[in-house]
Amino acid sequence: MNRVPPRWADQFLKWYCSPELLEEIQGDVYELFNRTAVEFPRKARWLFIWNVFRFFRWKNIRKIKSDHTDSIFHPAMLKNILIVSIRNFVRYPGQSFITTAGLTAGFTSAFLILLWISHEFSYDKFHPQKEQLYKVVSHVNANGAVQTYELAGNNLDVASVPEIESITRISSGNRWPHELCFRPDEKPAECLYFNGVYANETLFSNFNFPILQGDPNPLGKPAQLAISQKMAAALYGTENPIGRVLKIDNTHEVTVSAVFRDVPVNSSIQFDFALPFDILKKQWGINDQMLTEQFFNIYLKTQVPVDVRTLNEKLNQLPVISAEYQTQNIRYEAFALTDLRLYNKFENGQATGGRIDYIMLFSIIGILVLAMAVINFINLSTARASLRAKEIGIRKVTGAFRGGLIAQFMGEAFVLVLIAFLVSAIFVQLVLPFFNTLIGEPLTVSLLNTRMIFFMAIGLILIASLAGFYPALVISSFQPATILKGQLPTSITGSQQLRKALMVIQLSVSVGIILFGSILYRQLAYIADVNLGFDRSNTLRLEPTHRLHLSYEAFRNELLSNPLIKAVGASDSNPLETGGGTSEINWPGKSPDTRVSFKLIGCYHDFPETIGLQLVSGSFFRPERQTNDSVAIELLITKKAAASMGMTNPIGEKLTLGTAVGEIIGIVDDFHTSSLHTVMDPVILYRKNIYNTSAIYIRYEAGMARQAQEAINTAYKKFEPSVTMKYWFQDDTFQQLYKTETLASRLVFIFSIIAMVITFIGVTGLATFNVMRKTKEIALRRVFGASVVQILMMLFNDFLGILMITLGIALPFAWYAARQWLDGFAYHTELPWLNFVAVISATAGLILLIIWIQGRSILAANPTEKLRSE
Amino acid sequence: MKGTYLGELEELVLLTVGILFPDAYSVAVMDEIEKQAGRSLNISAVHAVLTRLEEKGFLKSTMSEPTEERGGRRKRIFLLTAAGKRALEEANELRTQLFKQIPKIAFQFKLI
Repeated sequence: MNRVPPRWADQFLKWYCSPELLEEIQGDVYELFNRTAVEFPRKARWLFIWNVFRFFRWKNIRKIKSDHTDSIFHPAMLKNILIVSIRNFVRYPGQSFITTAGLTAGFTSAFLILLWISHEFSYDKFHPQKEQLYKVVSHVNANGAVQTYELAGNNLDVASVPEIESITRISSGNRWPHELCFRPDEKPAECLYFNGVYANETLFSNFNFPILQGDPNPLGKPAQLAISQKMAAALYGTENPIGRVLKIDNTHEVTVSAVFRDVPVNSSIQFDFALPFDILKKQWGINDQMLTEQFFNIYLKTQVPVDVRTLNEKLNQLPVISAEYQTQNIRYEAFALTDLRLYNKFENGQATGGRIDYIMLFSIIGILVLAMAVINFINLSTARASLRAKEIGIRKVTGAFRGGLIAQFMGEAFVLVLIAFLVSAIFVQLVLPFFNTLIGEPLTVSLLNTRMIFFMAIGLILIASLAGFYPALVISSFQPATILKGQLPTSITGSQQLRKALMVIQLSVSVGIILFGSILYRQLAYIADVNLGFDRSNTLRLEPTHRLHLSYEAFRNELLSNPLIKAVGASDSNPLETGGGTSEINWPGKSPDTRVSFKLIGCYHDFPETIGLQLVSGSFFRPERQTNDSVAIELLITKKAAASMGMTNPIGEKLTLGTAVGEIIGIVDDFHTSSLHTVMDPVILYRKNIYNTSAIYIRYEAGMARQAQEAINTAYKKFEPSVTMKYWFQDDTFQQLYKTETLASRLVFIFSIIAMVITFIGVTGLATFNVMRKTKEIALRRVFGASVVQILMMLFNDFLGILMITLGIALPFAWYAARQWLDGFAYHTELPWLNFVAVISATAGLILLIIWIQGRSILAANPTEKLRSE
Repeated sequence: MKGTYLGELEELVLLTVGILFPDAYSVAVMDEIEKQAGRSLNISAVHAVLTRLEEKGFLKSTMSEPTEERGGRRKRIFLLTAAGKRALEEANELRTQLFKQIPKIAFQFKLI
C-alpha cells in the first residue's frame, strides 16, 4: 500500500507556493490525503494532485520580488519614458514622420514582394499528393539543338512501369476545340466562350478538383460534360445544371453530369469544362489510332515519392516510349508538377530557371529595399540622438543604468518599427487591388493568414532589434560630463564613419536598382519599336467559323469595300507566335546529315501582303486558285531560308515538305516568328486553301481601331449571324509575348521609386545632421568671407566620397545584372551608357539640392548669431 | 481593506468558525459545512474564503501545535474578531428585519 502522496505534485506545490502560506496549505492537503488513504489509497493520490492544482491561485503563488526597485521597469519610470518619447515625437514631427515613413515604404515593398513570391510558390501546391505528381516534358533533338515542349506523346505506355500509379492525359489549348461557344438558356442567340480541356477520367481523381454535384467520375462515360461553378452560374443561373443537354459546336450532344469547384488561380491546369476524348475525336474527325499520335499534356502520379532519375530512364525505354519517337530523338523527362511553374525555361534539354530567376531578383530587391529602410532608420536614430544628448546626460547623472537606457531606446525603436509595420500592413491591404491588376492575376495568399502573421511577427522582432540595437548602444554610451558641458559626444561623431558606410550601401542599392530598371525600360522600348519584318500594328485578328470560311471571298470583298479596311488575309498560324518548327524539308542537293529547323506558315494567297512582308524577288502568291493538287504548291521563303538551303537563285526550285511538293515563287525579307528571346528562324510560307486557315487578319486605317472594329463586326454579323465575333488586336498579342518582362519592369519601377524615396530620406537625414554639426564652422567661414557656393561645396564634399564609392559598387553590379538579363534576348539594345550618366548626375544633383534646402536657413542667418550662442 | 460586505459563502464560513471555536481550521471548517449544510467544498476554496475574511478583519488566526495527521505541520486556527461578530449580527439582523416585512398574504400560497 502506498501511503505517500505523489512526489512531483508535492514538489510542484513547494515550488509555486509562497513560503508564508506553504505550511498550512501543505498541511491541509496532507491531512486530507492521509484521511482518505486509509481506505482508498488510489483515490487519495488523485485527490492530492487535484488539491495541489486547486491551490494554484494567484494569491498563493510565490511573488518574485525584484532586487532594485529603481529599475527601468518601475511603473513611474516606464510612464516617464513613454511621456518623453511622445514629447520627442511631437517636438520633431517632421523627423519622426520621415523616420517612420522610410520604414513604412520599406515594409510595404517587402510585404508586397513576400505576397507575390508566396503566391508564385503556391502554384499547384493544393493537390493533396503533390509530391507524387509529375508532368512529362519532351526534349526534341533537332540537328543538335534541343527543343523542349511541355507535352508528351499520347502513346506513352506506362503499363510496364510499376512506380506509376496512374496517368492523366489532358489536351488543352487556347482556340477551338478547347475554346467553345456555349449558349445560355435564356439567351440562345448569345455566345459565351469558355476554355476547357479534354482529358481521361483520372483528371478528377489524381488532382484536387473537387466535384460539388453530380457524377464523381464525369469523364468515365462518353458524351458527358463537367462544368465549373462559374460556368454553371453563367449558363443556368440558379437552376440545377445536372442532366442538362448541351450541343458542342451545334452538333455533338453532351449531358452535363457534374459541377466542379472553380479551378483556383494558382493552378497550372486551368479549365472551365472537361470533356472526354471521345468528343475530341469527333471534333477533329480522327480515329483512336490517330488520337494516340497526338501530343498532349501528360501527367503521372507515382506510387510513393520515387527517384526521378530511375523513373526518367524507364520513361525512355521501349515500350514506354514508342520506337518511332525514339528514332526521332525524342527524350522524355518527368518533371515535378510543383516545380514546373518556376523552372519553365529549358536550354538544350536542361532546366535553366525561368520564373524562379524573377523570384530571386525580386527577393533580392525586397531584401535590399528593406535593408535600406533599416539602415535609414539606424542612421536617422543615431543622428537624432544628438538632439537628445542632454536628456541622456541628465538620466545618467540621476542614476540611470546603461541597461535601462538601452532598454528605453530599444523600446522607442520598437514602437516606431511597430507603427511603421502596422501602417504598411494596412497600406498593403489598400494597394493590393492595384497590385493585382499590375501583375495581372489576383494574389491567392493573404497577408492575414496565420503563417504570414507568424513570419511577419518574427520579422518584426528581428528588424526592430536590428534597427534599435545600434542607436541604443551609441546613445547609452554617452559620457554625461561631456554632454552636459554642451559638447557633442565622441560616440556620435565617432560613428560618422559607420554612418557613411551605411549611406554607401544605401545609395548603391538604390542607384543599382534604378540603373537596372532603366535598362529594363530601354529593352522594352526597343522591343516595342523593333521592326519585326512585318507589320503588327493596326491589325485585328479574328477567328473564323466554318460558315465564314465558306463565304470568305464575299466577306473579304465586303470588308475591302469599306475605306477603313486596308487589307484582309488568312493563315493557319500567327506570325507573332508561330509554333514549333519542322526539319522535314528536303531540297535538291540537301546533304543527308543537314537538319535545319524551318518555321512553316500555311496561308491563303492574300496573307503575305496583308501583314506587310517585304518581297525581295519573285512574286507573291497569285490570287487564282490552285485547283489541281498535282501542281506544286506555291512557296515563299525568307532570305534566311534560302541561305540555309544554300540556294543562290531559289526561284523555281522544288522543295518537298513532308510528302507534298512545292515550288518557290518568291523570296521575302526575314521576319521574326516568335519573341525576341530567340534567333529568327528560316521561314517557308506555303499556300493553303481557306478552309484550313485558323485566323483572318484585317489591317485597317491607323488610328481608326474603334470604327474599323465596328465595321468588321457588322460585316461579320452579316455572314455569321449566330456566333459572337472572337477577335484580338495583334498589338495586344505582341504585348502578351513579353508579359513577364513587362511585369518585371513595372515592379522594378515601383521598387526603384520606393528605393529613391528611402534614399532621399536618408540623404536628407545625413545632410541635416552634417549641417547641424557644422553650424559654427559654417558661421566662421561666412565671417571670413566664404561665399554660399563655397559652403555648399564644402558640405557636398562629405558626400563626394560616398558618391564615388557608391558608383564604384553600383555600376559594376547593375552592369552585370543588366548584361545577364539582356543576354536572355537574342535581339537586344546595347547597354545605354547615357542612362548611367543620367542617373549618376541626377543623384549628385539631388544631393546638392537637399544640402541646399537643409543649409538654407543657416546660410541665410546672420553668422554672428550662431557664433554668439555659446 | 476591502469592503465589509459579507458574501453568502463568507457568512457560512464565518458562522462555522464560530461554531468550531476554538478548533476552527480549514479542514475542520470544510468538514463542518459538509455535515451541517450538505455542501461539499474544495479545500482550496475554503482556504481562500478564510484568508479573505482575515483580510477583511472578521477573523484572526494563530498557529497551533504541530500535529501528526498533517505530517508534523502546524494548523492555522481561526478565531472570530469583534468585527466578525458584529458583521454576523448585522447580517442576521438585516435578514430577520427583511423577513418580518414580508406581508403575511405572500405566504398564503393556496390562493394563488
